[in-house]
Amino acid sequence: MRSRTLAGFAALLRAELADLFQYRIEMFLYGLWQVVNPIIYLVIWSTVVGGGTIAGYARDDFILYYLVFMVVSHLTLAIEVYTMAPSIQTGRLSPHLLRPLHPFWRAGALNISYKAVNLMFLVPIWVGLALILRPAFSPDWLGLALFLPSMVMAALISFLIGSCFAMLAFWTTRSMSFWDIWMSLTLLLGGQVAPVAVLPGFLQQAAVVLPMRYTVGFPIEVALGRVQGAELAAGLAIQAGWTVAAAAAFVVIWRTGVKRYAAVGA
Amino acid sequence: MIRRLIRIASAFFRSALQEEFAYRGDLLGNVIRSVLNLATAIGGVAVIFSHTETLGGWTLGQTLSLLGIFVFVNGFVGMFMSPSLNRVVEEVREGTFDYVLMKPVPALFLASARRFVVWHVSDIVLGAIVLGVALVGLEVRASGWGMLLFVALLVCGVAIVYAIWLALTTLVFWFVRVANVTMIFNLFFQTGRYPIEVYPFWLRQLLTFVFPVAFVTTVPAQAVTGRDPSWLVWIAPVIAVVAVLVATRFWRFGLSRYTSASS
Repeated sequence: MRSRTLAGFAALLRAELADLFQYRIEMFLYGLWQVVNPIIYLVIWSTVVGGGTIAGYARDDFILYYLVFMVVSHLTLAIEVYTMAPSIQTGRLSPHLLRPLHPFWRAGALNISYKAVNLMFLVPIWVGLALILRPAFSPDWLGLALFLPSMVMAALISFLIGSCFAMLAFWTTRSMSFWDIWMSLTLLLGGQVAPVAVLPGFLQQAAVVLPMRYTVGFPIEVALGRVQGAELAAGLAIQAGWTVAAAAAFVVIWRTGVKRYAAVGA
Repeated sequence: MIRRLIRIASAFFRSALQEEFAYRGDLLGNVIRSVLNLATAIGGVAVIFSHTETLGGWTLGQTLSLLGIFVFVNGFVGMFMSPSLNRVVEEVREGTFDYVLMKPVPALFLASARRFVVWHVSDIVLGAIVLGVALVGLEVRASGWGMLLFVALLVCGVAIVYAIWLALTTLVFWFVRVANVTMIFNLFFQTGRYPIEVYPFWLRQLLTFVFPVAFVTTVPAQAVTGRDPSWLVWIAPVIAVVAVLVATRFWRFGLSRYTSASS
């Protein structure tokens, strides 16, 4: 049973990859989105910090942070509100309910394919920017080793929460509004407007507890060795906690939502 | 002719208004969304200014005025521009754009003034409020002449935004899957949240002459916050006229390539 699921997932992955590959130009434009926003804040913080430091971040640290941000925000992106929600609204979900594979796998395949196809454009841009900006970097080996698990958890939380917002389409026609609110909170508390350490007191405390930071900002901080010791352990524990919570929310919302599903035109 | 077009556009607007009030729950949700989006945007500016006095030479109050203008224009685009033009993209892809061409009014008119998303009025109002509050805080004593200049520059900015939108939409005649013009537009427009002086030289040139976001937020904000207006103030009308002319010509050229989507 498990190997059949995996084989099905692999097949879906190949199909979605082939499908997305047709739309390379569009993919490229979407991919640019992942680059432009971090550049705005990279520029702003390098201006503001000047020759000093803010919360331990010097100019090069901000540059490095936002370069890694571009990579991480792409790899942890949630696109489910654009893919899953419309298929619930239009009834295109129906045929997928009949397949011997949970629609979760198709959403996952689409998510991974999207990121894989876009990497083709983004990797040269990242490398180019890194070569132009050349920030000083002293590797923190423990952080680099823990980066991958933290990244995977971030991508999972993001995908699951994104799917939860998309599944609001079972109840309301405008799940996008809720997603917008979530995204603007992520902008502020997730580490885009500023690294979480740079946020003022109460915002920082909120960011440490809430899930937004664990969908993008935290893996960057781990990779750059910005969180150490007890703080690192606590962060990873909170991240694991949010992964479990997001998975539980996904299951609950799916089960109640799909019962309400009255496909349009199916 | 013009009066007829105005009558048709206002009929479209009325129907959009009725549609909006049919979903009052959504209306409330959307207003809450606008408020929260604005709150996080102001939060972002506050975070930056908690570590600095000025940003590219702009004070907190001046930067907030600029944010107000940004939110205002963003709301204006969402209400009057993107709904109609996004519809064009859909229709070209599905082939139903044929029906637009068959109507006894100019295609550009139907493409630009057919649909309205009324709830974006909340962004327009909120943007104006932020601008107003920021200006009161700045204690700028705007002269009548200054206000007139500001309004004129804002009109130029909106015209430029329309030209950019129209040009991006026209791309659909070549690239059928340019599905999300909103996203592409916002990609560049986001840079307008902050004064143009923040960006490095090459990016500033790009945002002034290639994708002229500078004229949409920075230049009007310079005029209204009593900063020394740069020479860009004087070329704003020229850029606006040129942009609209180029975009409408490009639209006509693109339209001539439209071959419907029968398959």
